[in-house]
Amino acid sequence: MFEQDDETTVERVIQHLRRPVAIDAGLDARVMQAIATAPPQRRRVRPLWPLLAAAAVLAAVLIARPWNRNATKADTLQFVLIAPQAASVALVGDFNDWDPARAPMQTAHGVWATVVRLAPGRYRYAFLVNGVEWRADPSAPAAKDDEFGTPSSVVTVGGRGS
Amino acid sequence: MILAALLLATQVAAQDPRLERLDPDTRSIVAAIVDSAHGIGLPVEPLIQRALEGATKGAPSARIVAAVRRLTVDLGTARTALGTSAVQAELEAAVAALRAGATPDVLVHLRDVRRPPLTMALSVLADLVASGVPADSAAAAVLALAPKARDADLVEFRRAVERDIALGAPPAAATSVRVNAGANAISTQSSDPGNPATPRPRRP
Amino acid sequence: MGIERVEPSDAELVRRVRAGDVGAYGALVARYRHRLGRYAVHMIGDREDAEEALQDSFVRAYRSLARCDDPARFGAWLYGILVNRCRTTGARAARRRRMFVHDAQALDGAAHADSADRLEWADAVDRALARLAPDYREAFLLKHVEDLEYEEIAELTGAGVSALKMRVKRAREQLQKYLREAEHV
Repeated sequence: MFEQDDETTVERVIQHLRRPVAIDAGLDARVMQAIATAPPQRRRVRPLWPLLAAAAVLAAVLIARPWNRNATKADTLQFVLIAPQAASVALVGDFNDWDPARAPMQTAHGVWATVVRLAPGRYRYAFLVNGVEWRADPSAPAAKDDEFGTPSSVVTVGGRGS
Repeated sequence: MILAALLLATQVAAQDPRLERLDPDTRSIVAAIVDSAHGIGLPVEPLIQRALEGATKGAPSARIVAAVRRLTVDLGTARTALGTSAVQAELEAAVAALRAGATPDVLVHLRDVRRPPLTMALSVLADLVASGVPADSAAAAVLALAPKARDADLVEFRRAVERDIALGAPPAAATSVRVNAGANAISTQSSDPGNPATPRPRRP
Repeated sequence: MGIERVEPSDAELVRRVRAGDVGAYGALVARYRHRLGRYAVHMIGDREDAEEALQDSFVRAYRSLARCDDPARFGAWLYGILVNRCRTTGARAARRRRMFVHDAQALDGAAHADSADRLEWADAVDRALARLAPDYREAFLLKHVEDLEYEEIAELTGAGVSALKMRVKRAREQLQKYLREAEHV
Protein backbone atom coordinates (compact mmCIF):
# COMPACT_ATOMS: atom_id res chain seq x y z
CA MET A 1 0.00 0.00 0.00
CA PHE A 2 2.74 2.48 0.82
CA GLU A 3 5.10 3.36 -1.96
CA GLN A 4 8.43 1.63 -1.88
CA ASP A 5 10.14 4.56 -3.48
CA ASP A 6 11.05 6.94 -0.67
CA GLU A 7 11.18 10.07 -2.77
CA THR A 8 7.69 9.39 -4.02
CA THR A 9 6.55 8.83 -0.46
CA VAL A 10 7.75 12.24 0.59
CA GLU A 11 6.12 13.81 -2.43
CA ARG A 12 2.85 12.14 -1.53
CA VAL A 13 3.18 13.48 1.99
CA ILE A 14 3.73 16.96 0.66
CA GLN A 15 0.76 16.79 -1.66
CA HIS A 16 -1.35 15.54 1.18
CA LEU A 17 -0.26 18.30 3.53
CA ARG A 18 -0.86 20.96 0.92
CA ARG A 19 -4.55 20.22 0.87
CA PRO A 20 -6.66 23.10 2.11
CA VAL A 21 -7.50 22.90 5.78
CA ALA A 22 -10.92 24.14 6.79
CA ILE A 23 -10.73 26.81 9.43
CA ASP A 24 -13.81 27.60 11.47
CA ALA A 25 -15.52 30.61 9.90
CA GLY A 26 -16.17 32.04 13.35
CA LEU A 27 -12.50 32.82 13.61
CA ASP A 28 -12.85 35.99 11.57
CA ALA A 29 -15.58 37.24 13.87
CA ARG A 30 -13.58 36.37 16.96
CA VAL A 31 -10.55 38.21 15.64
CA MET A 32 -12.58 41.28 14.75
CA GLN A 33 -14.26 41.27 18.11
CA ALA A 34 -10.98 40.94 19.96
CA ILE A 35 -9.66 43.84 17.97
CA ALA A 36 -12.70 45.95 18.68
CA THR A 37 -12.26 45.63 22.41
CA ALA A 38 -8.76 47.04 22.34
CA PRO A 39 -7.97 49.64 19.70
CA PRO A 40 -4.37 49.74 18.45
CA GLN A 41 -3.13 52.69 20.40
CA ARG A 42 -0.22 52.42 22.73
CA ARG A 43 -1.44 50.81 25.91
CA ARG A 44 0.92 49.91 28.71
CA VAL A 45 4.25 49.54 27.04
CA ARG A 46 4.99 45.87 27.43
CA PRO A 47 7.16 44.21 24.81
CA LEU A 48 5.56 41.00 23.62
CA TRP A 49 8.51 38.85 22.68
CA PRO A 50 10.16 38.60 26.11
CA LEU A 51 6.78 37.52 27.44
CA LEU A 52 6.47 34.93 24.71
CA ALA A 53 9.90 33.58 25.47
CA ALA A 54 9.08 33.40 29.16
CA ALA A 55 5.80 31.71 28.37
CA ALA A 56 7.60 29.13 26.27
CA VAL A 57 9.94 28.31 29.12
CA LEU A 58 7.07 28.15 31.56
CA ALA A 59 5.08 25.93 29.24
CA ALA A 60 7.98 23.57 28.90
CA VAL A 61 8.34 23.33 32.66
CA LEU A 62 4.66 22.87 33.33
CA ILE A 63 3.76 20.63 30.45
CA ALA A 64 3.80 17.47 32.52
CA ARG A 65 1.42 18.76 35.16
CA PRO A 66 -2.22 18.67 34.12
CA TRP A 67 -3.38 20.67 37.11
CA ASN A 68 -1.52 23.64 35.72
CA ARG A 69 -2.15 23.08 32.06
CA ASN A 70 -4.92 25.62 31.75
CA ALA A 71 -2.57 28.52 32.30
CA THR A 72 -3.19 29.91 28.87
CA LYS A 73 -5.81 27.82 27.20
CA ALA A 74 -9.18 26.18 27.44
CA ASP A 75 -10.22 24.04 30.36
CA THR A 76 -12.35 20.92 30.27
CA LEU A 77 -15.14 20.83 32.80
CA GLN A 78 -17.67 18.29 33.84
CA PHE A 79 -21.19 19.37 34.74
CA VAL A 80 -23.33 17.09 36.86
CA LEU A 81 -26.94 17.14 38.01
CA ILE A 82 -28.70 14.50 40.06
CA ALA A 83 -32.23 14.23 38.73
CA PRO A 84 -33.54 10.68 38.85
CA GLN A 85 -37.03 11.64 37.75
CA ALA A 86 -35.97 13.66 34.75
CA ALA A 87 -36.59 12.49 31.20
CA SER A 88 -34.11 14.94 29.73
CA VAL A 89 -31.59 17.45 31.01
CA ALA A 90 -29.77 20.00 28.90
CA LEU A 91 -26.87 22.23 29.89
CA VAL A 92 -27.37 25.75 28.60
CA GLY A 93 -25.29 28.83 29.14
CA ASP A 94 -23.15 31.62 27.78
CA PHE A 95 -20.84 29.06 26.20
CA ASN A 96 -23.46 27.52 23.91
CA ASP A 97 -25.82 30.36 23.09
CA TRP A 98 -28.31 29.11 25.69
CA ASP A 99 -29.38 26.53 23.14
CA PRO A 100 -30.82 23.37 24.73
CA ALA A 101 -30.02 21.34 21.64
CA ARG A 102 -26.30 21.91 21.97
CA ALA A 103 -25.46 20.08 25.18
CA PRO A 104 -27.96 17.40 26.07
CA MET A 105 -26.66 15.48 29.03
CA GLN A 106 -26.20 11.74 29.43
CA THR A 107 -27.56 9.83 32.37
CA ALA A 108 -26.76 6.79 34.40
CA HIS A 109 -28.85 5.94 37.47
CA GLY A 110 -30.33 9.40 37.72
CA VAL A 111 -26.98 11.18 37.54
CA TRP A 112 -26.81 13.44 34.50
CA ALA A 113 -23.48 14.61 33.20
CA THR A 114 -21.69 16.18 30.30
CA VAL A 115 -18.23 17.51 29.59
CA VAL A 116 -17.56 20.86 27.98
CA ARG A 117 -14.42 22.60 26.86
CA LEU A 118 -14.29 26.29 27.81
CA ALA A 119 -11.97 29.10 26.89
CA PRO A 120 -11.03 31.49 29.70
CA GLY A 121 -13.98 33.55 30.85
CA ARG A 122 -16.89 33.77 33.23
CA TYR A 123 -20.01 31.92 32.13
CA ARG A 124 -23.57 31.92 33.43
CA TYR A 125 -25.38 28.65 32.92
CA ALA A 126 -28.22 26.46 34.13
CA PHE A 127 -29.78 23.06 33.62
CA LEU A 128 -33.02 22.76 31.69
CA VAL A 129 -34.92 19.75 32.96
CA ASN A 130 -37.57 18.15 30.75
CA GLY A 131 -37.43 21.17 28.54
CA VAL A 132 -39.36 23.30 31.02
CA GLU A 133 -37.80 23.47 34.46
CA TRP A 134 -34.76 25.64 35.17
CA ARG A 135 -32.33 24.52 37.81
CA ALA A 136 -29.14 26.05 39.07
CA ASP A 137 -26.10 23.91 39.71
CA PRO A 138 -26.09 23.07 43.42
CA SER A 139 -22.33 22.64 43.42
CA ALA A 140 -21.47 25.93 41.78
CA PRO A 141 -21.60 29.59 42.77
CA ALA A 142 -24.97 31.18 42.13
CA ALA A 143 -25.40 33.84 39.51
CA LYS A 144 -26.91 36.62 41.52
CA ASP A 145 -27.69 39.00 38.71
CA ASP A 146 -30.54 37.06 37.26
CA GLU A 147 -32.99 39.29 35.50
CA PHE A 148 -35.13 36.65 33.84
CA GLY A 149 -36.53 35.21 37.01
CA THR A 150 -34.91 31.78 36.83
CA PRO A 151 -31.92 30.46 38.76
CA SER A 152 -28.49 30.31 37.14
CA SER A 153 -24.98 29.38 38.17
CA VAL A 154 -21.55 30.59 37.30
CA VAL A 155 -18.39 28.87 36.17
CA THR A 156 -15.13 30.72 35.65
CA VAL A 157 -12.10 29.59 33.71
CA GLY A 158 -8.98 31.56 34.50
CA GLY A 159 -6.11 32.26 32.19
CA ARG A 160 -5.57 34.47 29.26
CA GLY A 161 -8.68 35.44 27.35
CA SER A 162 -8.75 36.55 23.76
CA MET B 1 -16.30 39.28 0.20
CA ILE B 2 -14.36 42.45 0.97
CA LEU B 3 -17.66 44.27 1.42
CA ALA B 4 -18.80 41.63 3.83
CA ALA B 5 -15.62 41.97 5.81
CA LEU B 6 -15.95 45.74 5.89
CA LEU B 7 -19.55 45.46 6.97
CA LEU B 8 -18.49 43.09 9.66
CA ALA B 9 -17.03 45.94 11.65
CA THR B 10 -19.97 48.26 11.35
CA GLN B 11 -22.94 45.94 11.54
CA VAL B 12 -21.86 43.20 13.81
CA ALA B 13 -25.29 42.50 15.16
CA ALA B 14 -27.09 42.59 11.85
CA GLN B 15 -24.83 39.83 10.62
CA ASP B 16 -25.20 37.59 13.65
CA PRO B 17 -27.67 34.86 12.73
CA ARG B 18 -28.14 33.89 16.36
CA LEU B 19 -30.29 36.97 16.95
CA GLU B 20 -32.87 35.48 14.65
CA ARG B 21 -34.07 33.62 17.67
CA LEU B 22 -35.56 36.90 18.85
CA ASP B 23 -38.79 38.21 17.42
CA PRO B 24 -38.22 40.89 14.77
CA ASP B 25 -39.04 43.89 16.96
CA THR B 26 -36.88 42.76 19.84
CA ARG B 27 -34.17 41.80 17.42
CA SER B 28 -33.92 45.22 15.84
CA ILE B 29 -33.74 47.00 19.18
CA VAL B 30 -31.16 44.59 20.54
CA ALA B 31 -29.18 44.80 17.29
CA ALA B 32 -29.08 48.57 17.60
CA ILE B 33 -27.84 48.39 21.18
CA VAL B 34 -25.24 45.83 20.20
CA ASP B 35 -24.03 47.88 17.26
CA SER B 36 -23.63 51.02 19.28
CA ALA B 37 -21.86 49.10 22.01
CA HIS B 38 -19.53 47.72 19.38
CA GLY B 39 -19.06 51.22 18.06
CA ILE B 40 -17.60 52.34 21.36
CA GLY B 41 -15.40 49.31 21.57
CA LEU B 42 -17.29 47.16 24.05
CA PRO B 43 -17.38 43.39 23.57
CA VAL B 44 -20.63 42.31 21.99
CA GLU B 45 -20.60 38.62 22.76
CA PRO B 46 -21.83 39.09 26.36
CA LEU B 47 -24.71 41.19 25.07
CA ILE B 48 -25.69 38.60 22.54
CA GLN B 49 -25.51 35.84 25.11
CA ARG B 50 -27.72 37.85 27.43
CA ALA B 51 -30.30 38.28 24.68
CA LEU B 52 -30.17 34.60 23.83
CA GLU B 53 -30.62 33.69 27.47
CA GLY B 54 -33.76 35.78 27.54
CA ALA B 55 -34.96 34.20 24.32
CA THR B 56 -34.46 30.68 25.59
CA LYS B 57 -36.19 31.51 28.84
CA GLY B 58 -39.15 32.99 26.99
CA ALA B 59 -38.72 36.37 28.62
CA PRO B 60 -40.85 39.28 27.43
CA SER B 61 -39.25 41.64 24.95
CA ALA B 62 -39.02 44.53 27.40
CA ARG B 63 -37.07 42.43 29.85
CA ILE B 64 -34.61 41.26 27.27
CA VAL B 65 -34.03 44.78 26.03
CA ALA B 66 -33.63 46.09 29.58
CA ALA B 67 -31.14 43.34 30.41
CA VAL B 68 -29.04 44.02 27.33
CA ARG B 69 -29.10 47.76 27.98
CA ARG B 70 -28.10 47.33 31.60
CA LEU B 71 -25.27 45.04 30.64
CA THR B 72 -24.00 47.53 28.09
CA VAL B 73 -23.89 50.25 30.71
CA ASP B 74 -22.16 48.00 33.21
CA LEU B 75 -19.58 46.85 30.67
CA GLY B 76 -18.81 50.50 30.07
CA THR B 77 -18.34 51.13 33.76
CA ALA B 78 -16.14 48.06 34.01
CA ARG B 79 -14.02 49.21 31.13
CA THR B 80 -13.59 52.66 32.57
CA ALA B 81 -12.30 51.10 35.77
CA LEU B 82 -10.10 48.43 34.21
CA GLY B 83 -8.89 50.31 31.18
CA THR B 84 -9.15 49.65 27.47
CA SER B 85 -6.70 46.78 27.58
CA ALA B 86 -9.13 44.65 29.58
CA VAL B 87 -10.32 41.64 27.63
CA GLN B 88 -13.89 40.40 27.35
CA ALA B 89 -13.53 37.80 30.08
CA GLU B 90 -12.25 40.40 32.53
CA LEU B 91 -15.01 42.83 31.70
CA GLU B 92 -17.68 40.20 32.22
CA ALA B 93 -16.20 39.22 35.56
CA ALA B 94 -15.88 42.90 36.48
CA VAL B 95 -19.58 43.43 35.77
CA ALA B 96 -20.39 40.56 38.10
CA ALA B 97 -18.18 42.09 40.78
CA LEU B 98 -19.77 45.52 40.38
CA ARG B 99 -23.24 44.05 40.56
CA ALA B 100 -22.22 42.14 43.67
CA GLY B 101 -21.43 45.45 45.30
CA ALA B 102 -17.78 46.11 44.59
CA THR B 103 -17.09 49.75 43.86
CA PRO B 104 -15.18 50.86 40.75
CA ASP B 105 -12.36 51.82 43.11
CA VAL B 106 -11.96 48.19 44.07
CA LEU B 107 -11.55 47.29 40.40
CA VAL B 108 -8.98 50.01 39.91
CA HIS B 109 -7.10 48.85 42.97
CA LEU B 110 -7.17 45.27 41.77
CA ARG B 111 -5.81 46.32 38.44
CA ASP B 112 -2.93 47.99 40.19
CA VAL B 113 -1.92 45.04 42.33
CA ARG B 114 -2.45 42.07 40.07
CA ARG B 115 -1.16 41.12 36.65
CA PRO B 116 -3.86 40.50 34.08
CA PRO B 117 -5.97 38.63 33.43
CA LEU B 118 -8.08 39.69 36.36
CA THR B 119 -10.92 37.37 35.39
CA MET B 120 -10.62 34.87 38.21
CA ALA B 121 -9.97 37.44 40.94
CA LEU B 122 -13.06 39.42 39.96
CA SER B 123 -15.12 36.28 39.60
CA VAL B 124 -14.13 35.03 43.02
CA LEU B 125 -15.10 38.37 44.51
CA ALA B 126 -18.56 38.15 42.95
CA ASP B 127 -18.95 34.51 43.91
CA LEU B 128 -18.05 35.19 47.54
CA VAL B 129 -20.76 37.81 47.74
CA ALA B 130 -23.17 35.34 46.17
CA SER B 131 -22.51 32.92 49.01
CA GLY B 132 -23.29 35.54 51.61
CA VAL B 133 -20.03 37.32 52.29
CA PRO B 134 -20.57 41.08 52.67
CA ALA B 135 -19.25 42.93 49.65
CA ASP B 136 -16.61 44.91 51.49
CA SER B 137 -15.29 41.80 53.24
CA ALA B 138 -15.11 39.97 49.95
CA ALA B 139 -13.35 42.89 48.30
CA ALA B 140 -10.87 43.23 51.14
CA ALA B 141 -10.14 39.51 51.02
CA VAL B 142 -9.56 39.38 47.29
CA LEU B 143 -7.40 42.51 47.35
CA ALA B 144 -5.32 41.02 50.15
CA LEU B 145 -4.69 37.82 48.21
CA ALA B 146 -4.51 39.34 44.76
CA PRO B 147 -0.86 40.36 44.62
CA LYS B 148 0.54 36.87 45.13
CA ALA B 149 -2.20 34.27 44.67
CA ARG B 150 -2.51 32.24 41.51
CA ASP B 151 -5.92 31.81 39.97
CA ALA B 152 -6.11 28.30 41.36
CA ASP B 153 -5.38 29.62 44.85
CA LEU B 154 -8.22 32.09 44.60
CA VAL B 155 -10.61 29.34 43.54
CA GLU B 156 -9.49 27.20 46.43
CA PHE B 157 -9.98 30.15 48.75
CA ARG B 158 -13.50 30.67 47.54
CA ARG B 159 -14.32 26.98 47.97
CA ALA B 160 -12.88 26.94 51.47
CA VAL B 161 -14.97 29.92 52.50
CA GLU B 162 -18.09 28.35 51.05
CA ARG B 163 -17.42 25.14 52.95
CA ASP B 164 -17.03 27.05 56.19
CA ILE B 165 -20.23 28.97 55.62
CA ALA B 166 -22.04 25.73 54.85
CA LEU B 167 -20.78 24.42 58.15
CA GLY B 168 -22.28 27.39 59.92
CA ALA B 169 -19.53 29.98 60.14
CA PRO B 170 -20.56 33.63 59.80
CA PRO B 171 -19.51 34.61 56.28
CA ALA B 172 -17.35 37.60 57.16
CA ALA B 173 -15.50 35.65 59.84
CA ALA B 174 -15.00 32.68 57.55
CA THR B 175 -13.50 35.02 55.01
CA SER B 176 -10.97 36.66 57.28
CA VAL B 177 -9.84 33.35 58.75
CA ARG B 178 -9.30 31.95 55.30
CA VAL B 179 -7.48 35.03 54.10
CA ASN B 180 -4.85 34.53 56.78
CA ALA B 181 -4.61 30.85 56.00
CA GLY B 182 -4.49 31.59 52.31
CA ALA B 183 -1.76 34.16 52.65
CA ASN B 184 0.35 31.66 54.59
CA ALA B 185 -0.26 28.89 52.10
CA ILE B 186 0.79 31.04 49.18
CA SER B 187 3.95 32.23 50.79
CA THR B 188 5.06 28.65 51.47
CA GLN B 189 4.31 27.73 47.88
CA SER B 190 2.24 24.73 48.81
CA SER B 191 0.15 23.17 46.14
CA ASP B 192 -1.52 19.87 45.59
CA PRO B 193 -0.48 18.29 42.34
CA GLY B 194 -3.47 16.00 42.34
CA ASN B 195 -3.16 12.86 40.31
CA PRO B 196 -1.04 13.50 37.25
CA ALA B 197 -1.64 10.08 35.85
CA THR B 198 -5.28 10.48 34.91
CA PRO B 199 -6.37 14.12 34.82
CA ARG B 200 -10.14 14.23 35.15
CA PRO B 201 -12.18 17.14 33.89
CA ARG B 202 -12.73 19.49 36.76
CA ARG B 203 -16.02 20.64 38.18
CA PRO B 204 -17.23 24.23 38.39
CA MET C 1 -19.47 47.84 -19.52
CA GLY C 2 -19.30 46.76 -15.95
CA ILE C 3 -17.27 48.16 -13.13
CA GLU C 4 -14.08 46.26 -12.67
CA ARG C 5 -13.65 45.06 -9.17
CA VAL C 6 -10.00 44.89 -8.36
CA GLU C 7 -9.12 43.40 -5.04
CA PRO C 8 -7.14 45.84 -2.95
CA SER C 9 -3.55 44.84 -2.34
CA ASP C 10 -2.24 43.99 1.09
CA ALA C 11 -0.43 47.32 1.16
CA GLU C 12 -3.65 49.16 0.40
CA LEU C 13 -5.56 47.33 3.09
CA VAL C 14 -2.83 47.94 5.64
CA ARG C 15 -2.87 51.58 4.73
CA ARG C 16 -6.62 51.71 5.30
CA VAL C 17 -6.38 49.96 8.64
CA ARG C 18 -3.72 52.38 9.78
CA ALA C 19 -5.98 55.22 8.70
CA GLY C 20 -8.63 53.90 11.07
CA ASP C 21 -10.69 51.52 8.92
CA VAL C 22 -10.84 48.53 11.22
CA GLY C 23 -13.08 46.67 8.81
CA ALA C 24 -10.30 46.53 6.26
CA TYR C 25 -8.44 44.25 8.61
CA GLY C 26 -11.28 41.79 8.22
CA ALA C 27 -10.38 41.52 4.57
CA LEU C 28 -6.80 40.68 5.47
CA VAL C 29 -7.95 38.04 7.92
CA ALA C 30 -10.17 36.46 5.28
CA ARG C 31 -7.33 36.57 2.80
CA TYR C 32 -4.81 34.76 4.99
CA ARG C 33 -6.93 32.66 7.24
CA HIS C 34 -6.71 29.40 5.32
CA ARG C 35 -3.08 29.48 4.37
CA LEU C 36 -1.92 30.35 7.86
CA GLY C 37 -4.46 27.94 9.28
CA ARG C 38 -2.98 25.13 7.27
CA TYR C 39 0.48 25.80 8.64
CA ALA C 40 -0.78 26.13 12.21
CA VAL C 41 -2.76 22.89 12.07
CA HIS C 42 0.14 20.86 10.72
CA MET C 43 2.71 22.48 12.94
CA ILE C 44 0.78 22.24 16.17
CA GLY C 45 -1.11 19.04 15.42
CA ASP C 46 -4.22 20.01 17.33
CA ARG C 47 -7.10 21.77 15.65
CA GLU C 48 -8.23 23.84 18.62
CA ASP C 49 -4.76 24.91 19.63
CA ALA C 50 -4.02 25.79 16.04
CA GLU C 51 -7.10 27.97 15.73
CA GLU C 52 -6.23 29.66 18.98
CA ALA C 53 -2.70 30.32 17.76
CA LEU C 54 -4.08 31.62 14.51
CA GLN C 55 -6.54 33.91 16.21
CA ASP C 56 -3.87 35.19 18.57
CA SER C 57 -1.55 35.87 15.70
CA PHE C 58 -4.10 37.88 13.79
CA VAL C 59 -4.91 39.95 16.85
CA ARG C 60 -1.26 40.46 17.67
CA ALA C 61 -0.56 41.50 14.11
CA TYR C 62 -3.33 44.06 14.24
CA ARG C 63 -2.07 45.52 17.49
CA SER C 64 1.48 45.85 16.23
CA LEU C 65 0.58 46.85 12.69
CA ALA C 66 2.58 50.03 13.14
CA ARG C 67 5.66 47.84 13.24
CA CYS C 68 5.05 46.23 9.87
CA ASP C 69 7.81 47.95 7.94
CA ASP C 70 6.78 46.86 4.45
CA PRO C 71 2.99 46.68 4.06
CA ALA C 72 3.41 45.09 0.66
CA ARG C 73 4.93 42.11 2.46
CA PHE C 74 2.26 41.96 5.14
CA GLY C 75 1.74 38.26 4.48
CA ALA C 76 5.34 37.35 5.20
CA TRP C 77 5.35 39.54 8.31
CA LEU C 78 2.16 37.88 9.50
CA TYR C 79 3.75 34.49 8.89
CA GLY C 80 6.59 35.50 11.19
CA ILE C 81 4.15 36.27 13.96
CA LEU C 82 2.37 32.96 13.45
CA VAL C 83 5.58 30.92 13.33
CA ASN C 84 6.66 32.40 16.64
CA ARG C 85 3.27 31.91 18.20
CA CYS C 86 3.20 28.27 17.13
CA ARG C 87 6.51 27.73 18.88
CA THR C 88 5.10 28.74 22.23
CA THR C 89 2.26 26.27 22.13
CA GLY C 90 4.61 23.72 23.56
CA ALA C 91 5.74 20.27 22.63
CA ARG C 92 2.91 18.25 21.16
CA ALA C 93 5.08 15.76 19.35
CA ALA C 94 4.79 13.21 22.11
CA ARG C 95 1.03 13.14 21.99
CA ARG C 96 -0.59 11.30 19.15
CA ARG C 97 -3.68 13.01 18.09
CA ARG C 98 -6.09 12.57 15.27
CA MET C 99 -6.47 15.65 13.18
CA PHE C 100 -9.19 16.80 10.89
CA VAL C 101 -7.86 14.95 7.91
CA HIS C 102 -10.78 12.65 8.44
CA ASP C 103 -13.30 14.93 6.89
CA ALA C 104 -15.07 14.97 3.59
CA GLN C 105 -12.23 16.77 1.86
CA ALA C 106 -9.72 14.06 2.59
CA LEU C 107 -11.95 11.38 1.24
CA ASP C 108 -13.40 13.18 -1.73
CA GLY C 109 -14.76 10.69 -4.16
CA ALA C 110 -12.77 7.74 -2.86
CA ALA C 111 -14.39 4.32 -2.94
CA HIS C 112 -15.23 2.72 0.35
CA ALA C 113 -12.33 0.31 0.45
CA ASP C 114 -10.01 3.08 -0.64
CA SER C 115 -11.17 5.46 2.06
CA ALA C 116 -10.12 3.14 4.83
CA ASP C 117 -6.68 2.98 3.29
CA ARG C 118 -6.56 6.73 2.79
CA LEU C 119 -7.59 7.34 6.39
CA GLU C 120 -4.93 5.00 7.63
CA TRP C 121 -2.32 6.64 5.52
CA ALA C 122 -3.41 10.13 6.47
CA ASP C 123 -3.17 9.04 10.07
CA ALA C 124 0.31 7.68 9.53
CA VAL C 125 1.35 10.99 8.01
CA ASP C 126 -0.03 12.91 10.98
CA ARG C 127 1.85 10.71 13.39
CA ALA C 128 5.06 10.86 11.42
CA LEU C 129 4.84 14.64 11.29
CA ALA C 130 4.21 14.81 15.02
CA ARG C 131 7.32 12.75 15.64
CA LEU C 132 9.62 15.20 13.91
CA ALA C 133 11.57 17.58 16.06
CA PRO C 134 9.77 20.94 16.07
CA ASP C 135 12.43 22.81 14.15
CA TYR C 136 12.57 20.09 11.51
CA ARG C 137 8.80 20.12 11.19
CA GLU C 138 8.74 23.89 11.04
CA ALA C 139 11.36 24.07 8.30
CA PHE C 140 9.76 21.24 6.32
CA LEU C 141 6.29 22.80 6.41
CA LEU C 142 7.47 26.27 5.55
CA LYS C 143 9.56 25.03 2.64
CA HIS C 144 7.48 22.28 1.10
CA VAL C 145 3.93 23.03 2.13
CA GLU C 146 3.92 26.80 2.39
CA ASP C 147 6.39 27.21 -0.49
CA LEU C 148 8.55 29.84 1.11
CA GLU C 149 12.06 30.44 -0.14
CA TYR C 150 14.90 29.56 2.14
CA GLU C 151 15.83 33.24 2.44
CA GLU C 152 12.31 34.03 3.60
CA ILE C 153 12.32 31.17 6.07
CA ALA C 154 15.67 32.36 7.36
CA GLU C 155 14.17 35.78 8.01
CA LEU C 156 11.18 34.34 9.83
CA THR C 157 13.01 31.86 11.96
CA GLY C 158 16.36 33.49 12.50
CA ALA C 159 18.15 30.35 11.35
CA GLY C 160 20.78 30.30 8.62
CA VAL C 161 19.95 29.02 5.15
CA SER C 162 22.31 26.06 5.29
CA ALA C 163 21.00 25.05 8.72
CA LEU C 164 17.50 25.19 7.30
CA LYS C 165 18.41 23.06 4.31
CA MET C 166 19.84 20.49 6.67
CA ARG C 167 16.67 20.50 8.76
CA VAL C 168 14.49 20.01 5.72
CA LYS C 169 16.70 17.17 4.53
CA ARG C 170 16.55 15.50 7.93
CA ALA C 171 12.82 15.98 8.04
CA ARG C 172 12.41 14.25 4.70
CA GLU C 173 14.61 11.37 5.81
CA GLN C 174 12.75 10.92 9.04
CA LEU C 175 9.34 11.09 7.42
CA GLN C 176 10.38 8.36 5.01
CA LYS C 177 11.63 6.27 7.89
CA TYR C 178 8.52 6.69 10.02
CA LEU C 179 6.22 5.92 7.15
CA ARG C 180 8.22 2.82 6.29
CA GLU C 181 7.89 1.76 9.92
CA ALA C 182 4.16 2.38 9.83
CA GLU C 183 3.86 0.20 6.80
CA HIS C 184 5.52 -2.70 8.51
CA VAL C 185 3.54 -2.55 11.71
